Amino acid sequence: MKISGSYTLPVAPERAYQILQDPAVLAQAMPGCEGLEQIGPNEYRMKMNVILAALSGKFEGKVRIADAVPPTSFRLIVEGSGRIGFLKGDGLLKLSLANTNPSVSTVVSYEGDAHVGGTLAAVGQRLIDGTSKMMLKKFFDKLVSLAH
Amino acid sequence: MATTTVKTETFVGKRIRRREDPRLITGTATYVEDIQMPGMHYAMILRSPHAAARIRSINTKPAEAAPGVVCVFTGKDTKGVGVVPCGVAMPDLRVPQHTILATDRVYFVGHPVAVVVARDRYLARDAADLIEVDYEVLPAVADPEKALAKGAPAVHPQWPDNIAFTYHQDGGNIDKAFAEADVVVKQRIVSQRLVPMAMETRGVVAEWRGADRQLNLYTSTQIPHLVRTLVAGMLGLEENRMRVIAPEVGGGFGSKLNVYAEEALMGFVSTRIQKPVKWIESRRENFTCTIHGRGHVDYYEVAAKRDGTILGIKLKLIQDVGAYHQLLTPLIPQLSVLMMPGIYNTQNIRADIVGVFTNCVPTDAYRGAGRPEATHGIERMVDVLAAELKMDPAEIRFKNFVTKDKFPYATATGLMYDSGDYAAPLRKALDLVGYVKLRLEQADLRKQRKYMGIGISTYGEICAIGPSPATPAGGWESATVKIDPTGKVTILTGTCPHGQGEETTFAQIAADELGVGLDDILVIRGDTAVVQYGIGTFGSRATAVGGTAVYYALQDLKAKIKKFGAMLLESDDVTLIGGQVVDNKTGKSTTLQEIARASYRALKLPPNTEPGLIATRFWEPPNFTFPFGAHIVVTDIDGETGQIKIRRYVAVDDCGNILNPLIVDGQVHGGVAQGLGQALWEQAVYDDDGQLTTGELMDYALPRAHLMPWIESHHTCTPSPVNPLGVKGVGEAGTIGCSPAVVNSVVDALAPLGVRHIDMPLTPEKIWKVLAAKH
Repeated sequence: MKISGSYTLPVAPERAYQILQDPAVLAQAMPGCEGLEQIGPNEYRMKMNVILAALSGKFEGKVRIADAVPPTSFRLIVEGSGRIGFLKGDGLLKLSLANTNPSVSTVVSYEGDAHVGGTLAAVGQRLIDGTSKMMLKKFFDKLVSLAH
Repeated sequence: MATTTVKTETFVGKRIRRREDPRLITGTATYVEDIQMPGMHYAMILRSPHAAARIRSINTKPAEAAPGVVCVFTGKDTKGVGVVPCGVAMPDLRVPQHTILATDRVYFVGHPVAVVVARDRYLARDAADLIEVDYEVLPAVADPEKALAKGAPAVHPQWPDNIAFTYHQDGGNIDKAFAEADVVVKQRIVSQRLVPMAMETRGVVAEWRGADRQLNLYTSTQIPHLVRTLVAGMLGLEENRMRVIAPEVGGGFGSKLNVYAEEALMGFVSTRIQKPVKWIESRRENFTCTIHGRGHVDYYEVAAKRDGTILGIKLKLIQDVGAYHQLLTPLIPQLSVLMMPGIYNTQNIRADIVGVFTNCVPTDAYRGAGRPEATHGIERMVDVLAAELKMDPAEIRFKNFVTKDKFPYATATGLMYDSGDYAAPLRKALDLVGYVKLRLEQADLRKQRKYMGIGISTYGEICAIGPSPATPAGGWESATVKIDPTGKVTILTGTCPHGQGEETTFAQIAADELGVGLDDILVIRGDTAVVQYGIGTFGSRATAVGGTAVYYALQDLKAKIKKFGAMLLESDDVTLIGGQVVDNKTGKSTTLQEIARASYRALKLPPNTEPGLIATRFWEPPNFTFPFGAHIVVTDIDGETGQIKIRRYVAVDDCGNILNPLIVDGQVHGGVAQGLGQALWEQAVYDDDGQLTTGELMDYALPRAHLMPWIESHHTCTPSPVNPLGVKGVGEAGTIGCSPAVVNSVVDALAPLGVRHIDMPLTPEKIWKVLAAKH
């Protein structure tokens, strides 16, 4: 499944880039995140509680950052599995200075591929698209509140 | 002894309400799930979330330490258990080792990996989540045509081309037929993957009685005796130490005409823990690990004369096998080939099947098993040909039918059609639907750019499966009829009815033969310790083959009853009528009860006669039977939304003699419902990674009651000469006749737009896209 979209953060690209890679900030911003622990350079272990309509369950996985080009882009690779299935995602995030706003802000655009499997795929297929969009919106909304 | 009036009421041919229904509709029937035993444990099976992966390691320790858990088994523990059997033998068939639990790899989503046994099913469920399986995910392929392409991932590494088997059949002179043709039409036709969806999912209770060296296996199956033979073999247990009981079975549709890993697995678990164990399949499991049906991609070519005479048919058939062969998987597309000429008089055919492994749950028999695919193919092709030649679809059918003077009729595929009058149901259906008027109305509606279609399907099918040489496990059926000392009648049948109503029809047969009431008769099935042996219920065989065995056992029994009656009456000229033996000379009579008592008391016996009243027959049918019929569907299509509305559904089925019209109606209705499901809504969809994305009833569009049209069910009657009852079978007719009639109707509606074919299911979205593209 393809995922893409964009979001505007009301901070300069350098600051946006920094918070997008700050485990403490990310852990707070990611919906359902119950822990993010650094296990290597640019690699984190993540615990997450996912709720998708009638399905809910804990996921354990890894988040990895690759191809980092501060402050303009990086790749985010997520892998997790739990009792309701597994998910894998690989996305490219691009940051650019928004020039339409009077104050400084950054457009974060993302484009990637997501795969789900197991019960999550069998039962939740209809809901994944909407839920992932909702979760991303929650994530960025929270990020805005943490950015200042 | 007295002279009394004789009972004259008969039951065969009457609309007798099903005797099994009260317990079924009041929730008092006993299914596998209802069985409780002291000390019973519960099993939960952990299944693969991946379509293809190598198992690097499995850590069961956290699950074993969980509360209530007795043990956890993986593929390492079950290595001694035999593989899940494929019952079909054919040259070059590639049979992968289908172990009951995965060992080093998983091959489809739902593949069993481990089993947790706990004293409570919820504890087992929770513990299963604690098992840690380290998978190395591998590329998967879920589409049979993609699996055949070069460079596709190999489902089984040892067979990189993914070909499971090939099969070729030639009849007549196909090259000559195509050389002489005025016209050749070609079409790719898909019969999509379907989930059989029995209301009762599968379930197993295994009870090992160590002291008796006896394994009792309760399982929701259509074939208890075959399960006993095969599962005993898998477990290395002597067959006489195993008893299989199919209690009430809540639907099967072919999905329970199988031997599954879980049946042997529960037997294994029970012998290990020395306790009874229960496993009940959840609906979500059912989607991913019980067989699917259909899964055909067919490439048809039909050669014909300009006047519509069909000269020959070519078929390239790609069968989606799934990851393994289940019991009959490779046989199903062969049934399609047998049926490919339909009921048309063409002696030239060529068929090539390629069975393809995919990373999906295996396909196998689903209501109709090969015949719906074949009927859909030929009936669509006849319409495609009619459109090409601008002929009326009814006219082209009349032109090509095997005429009624040609029976028995030898087909190009090697069958011998028993009896038929193919024009009769079509004529009747055309009259009933008002065909001529409808065509005039259609012409008017077309001027108003409204879409109304009339679809015809004239199907033939193979029933009463079947003569033993043509089946993998024997095609006969058995019956024992016994009369107790008090005169009550018990029938033990080797069939295993699970919705077909033979507790009623077999009682009707016996009641008429013996002249007793229905309430005097008990029909027992589904217990290998009680019933002699049997093949089971599938392929519309239970009444035509099993009922015939009952009939012949009754004849033996009647002869014996008459011997005892004659002895008691001291006569040499007696008749058995109305539950009594009557002396033809004096009119004196003796009742069945008196005869039964005398036969067991045995103070005196007729010459060369043993005590007791019991007779057993194993009846081998000399041929299949071949029912047929005509279904006509009238549809109206909403040009804005693509919604299809079925205005009329006329079914004229010829299933030979009808023993119980009520039951036949029920079979037709149920069959049509499932045919409509395939035609309009249902489809099992795997994504490119082999994930089943239609894994629940929210996404898999099973027909609901409110979606059903009114089915106008009618009959013609051409008795079968194959059995003395003259019956043919009707369990699958509705499904077989339905889907092409619906698709032909919709294509007919859209014909002004140049539409020639649309693949099932005909969802509004699909129709809307067709409409949008043409406008």
